[in-house]
Amino acid sequence: MMQPRNLARRFAQSVAGSTAAGVCRALVLAIAVCPLMISACSSSRSDRIVIGSKNFTESLILGEIMAQQIEAHTHLKVERRFYLAGTYICHQGMLSGRIDVYPEYTGTALTAILKEKPEGERRQVYERVKSEYESRFGLTLGPAFGFNDTFAMEIRGEDARHLNLKTLSQAAAYAPQWRAGFGYEFMERPDGYRGLAAVYGLHFAGQPRVMDLGLLARALRDHQIDIAAGNATDGLIPTLDLFVLEDDRHYFPPYEAVPVIRGETLKQHPEAALALAQLEGKISDQEMRQLNYAVDGQRRDVKDVVREFLQQNGLLQK
Amino acid sequence: MNFFHFIAQNRGQVLELTLEHLWLVGVSTLLAVLVGIPLGILIAHWPLLNKPVLATANVIQTIPSLALFGFLLPVPWLGDRAERLAILALTLYALLPLIRNTYTGIRGVDPAVVEAGRGMGLTDLQLLLKVELPLALSVILSGVRVAVVISVGLATIAAAIGAGGLGELIFRGLAMVNNQLILAGAIPAAGLALLADFGLGWVEKRLRPQ
Amino acid sequence: MQRSALNLICLATMERDATNGPAIEFRDVTYDLPNGQRVLASLNLGVQRGEILVLLGRSGSGKTTTLKLINRLLSPTSGEIRVEGKAASAEDVVRLRRRIGYVIQEIGLFPHYTVERNIGLVPSIEGWPQEKIHTRATELLQMVGLDAQLALRYPHQLSGGQRQRVGVARALAADPQILLMDEPFGALDPLTRDELQREFLSLQRRLHKTVVFVTHDLNEALRLGSRIALMEAGTLVTVLSPADFLRSNNPLAAAYVRAFGSGLDSAANRGA
Repeated sequence: MMQPRNLARRFAQSVAGSTAAGVCRALVLAIAVCPLMISACSSSRSDRIVIGSKNFTESLILGEIMAQQIEAHTHLKVERRFYLAGTYICHQGMLSGRIDVYPEYTGTALTAILKEKPEGERRQVYERVKSEYESRFGLTLGPAFGFNDTFAMEIRGEDARHLNLKTLSQAAAYAPQWRAGFGYEFMERPDGYRGLAAVYGLHFAGQPRVMDLGLLARALRDHQIDIAAGNATDGLIPTLDLFVLEDDRHYFPPYEAVPVIRGETLKQHPEAALALAQLEGKISDQEMRQLNYAVDGQRRDVKDVVREFLQQNGLLQK
Repeated sequence: MNFFHFIAQNRGQVLELTLEHLWLVGVSTLLAVLVGIPLGILIAHWPLLNKPVLATANVIQTIPSLALFGFLLPVPWLGDRAERLAILALTLYALLPLIRNTYTGIRGVDPAVVEAGRGMGLTDLQLLLKVELPLALSVILSGVRVAVVISVGLATIAAAIGAGGLGELIFRGLAMVNNQLILAGAIPAAGLALLADFGLGWVEKRLRPQ
Repeated sequence: MQRSALNLICLATMERDATNGPAIEFRDVTYDLPNGQRVLASLNLGVQRGEILVLLGRSGSGKTTTLKLINRLLSPTSGEIRVEGKAASAEDVVRLRRRIGYVIQEIGLFPHYTVERNIGLVPSIEGWPQEKIHTRATELLQMVGLDAQLALRYPHQLSGGQRQRVGVARALAADPQILLMDEPFGALDPLTRDELQREFLSLQRRLHKTVVFVTHDLNEALRLGSRIALMEAGTLVTVLSPADFLRSNNPLAAAYVRAFGSGLDSAANRGA
């Protein structure tokens, strides 16, 4: 039985008539074989689990929480691959097996990945995403962490108390006297400002001001605007004494934070899933805000903040 | 932490991403060779096709790579897995050097040799396989070399759309403002490109007809 | 009944023609370029078996075109070319070319093949066994006056004269009956050219191939040709033996003789 390389050489010589060309043919074969060889020697994940996160603070914190939780409760070595640039990249990482776990939001999964309309209430959306992820991608949704990072219509705390406002429906009456401030995305998305205005019958004074998300809270505090669209878990909400109006008509889709785990990882390391399940419902909206503030506002190290949080919640004891 | 210490600590990750990078470059170069070289042979023998084919390949090259990745994202089968998309884009970018060099290489063969061969009764296929390709090999290989070096560089951008590879380290490093992470991706990528350049350049030199 | 008898007679005639008739025949052959320019006009010419027919003329006279029509590197616009009794267009072009040796001015040796592989190219694609090819190559090298040791050298390691000898050897490798030569010694220095012409003559004495030889050099024509076909502007002006050519009253032939000056007599006698 002839060696493949010799065969290639002989073939090349008979066709091209020179040993040098034969060497070249071997090279072309090598370029061809290279990908096959690489796929053959795939790295072993027998004792290691890779946790990913997106590149904003909240996602980082959730990633770190999951990482420390797994480190504390299993013998697995955790590799952190944080700061991945977005939903699509994280999803691709899961599909290709580059990462095993990452924190996602049910609403984002529904619209960005499953490409469905952003509507439904919490339980509904969760179940829908869970079953679709399972059947289409072989990915499992763990139990929700407990908070809903959806859009939040924020007003100054003093206004809320003064006018005794709790819900958006109540606030709609005052809308014509208010100037609104939104981020670019909120203005553009069909499930952003336009839909909101329609559902609640909102008419603000003049055109809403569009600005960078980071500047909204301060603009609100400084009375440059009277109502802003931020995130429910913004760290600045408690510190700047901002109040989140309740979305009583359930206009905004739910964005419950959940861990997403690869099917294979679940099979190979069920103990990791168990560790993550302990986090169910452990983080409220308010607690997430505090964690966000600790990292963003107080500039504390993520690892320290997370360790403290887990200890306080009795999660680090086995 | 010293850079080499950093690499040593994270060698699993760096190795995994390097292999991924090689995979992207290897598959796309192979595909480009399988499509580009026959196309080059075709236009070398049918000069009428020469302008449209080279012009198309040229246009593809001028599309900024990130933009090309972006266009292809919504395409159904391709967009589902970032690797497919990345491999397609990398293949497209590798086409021009391959087509053009194959064309130039074959046209560059001494016409007297081709005429003698044809007059002696070699069929077109025999002429191609025994005379034209072996004599054009060095130039074609130079095209492969250029294609590989381009691909290694472009594959770092593929990480922006989730296809992995060493670019992932660079992008994460940028987001975290962590120089070591950036270098951990950039230096191996540059190293691969240099290796390909030298290695293939050496083979090219050995094959050049005297 | 009558039909088949007629057919038999035709066949018999053809067979006789094939053995007695011209080896190559041009019947009313015209060749136009794609842009319409006429290169050959109504050429009628016969090449006898075993002769060296020289096509003599200046650039643009159509002599190289005539040559290339024989091995179908070009196709006639009208008219017919017959090679060894068969219409050239009827036969498979590759088979035809392998039966005809072809030597060109630029030589065109394959630079990536050794001398031996160059010579053995047609035999090898014809499926000759390796041994036979090797023997044949050695034989031919000797025949064209080259050291057998050169078999393993590459063309770039040889001189111009040596290369053209290999070119001739290559053309003779599969033992073709017909040899086409397009100014084969034109790129060589005068001394080497002289040597090769002499050696070619002695080779021809042994091999008796049918040769069509293109040149613009009257010296060469007189020395090598059994007959000289003078061509001008795509037409055949006259076909004469060397001796007749020198004495010819044809204005063009006379002009050639004048242009080439003295020393032609000896060339015509094939001595010096």
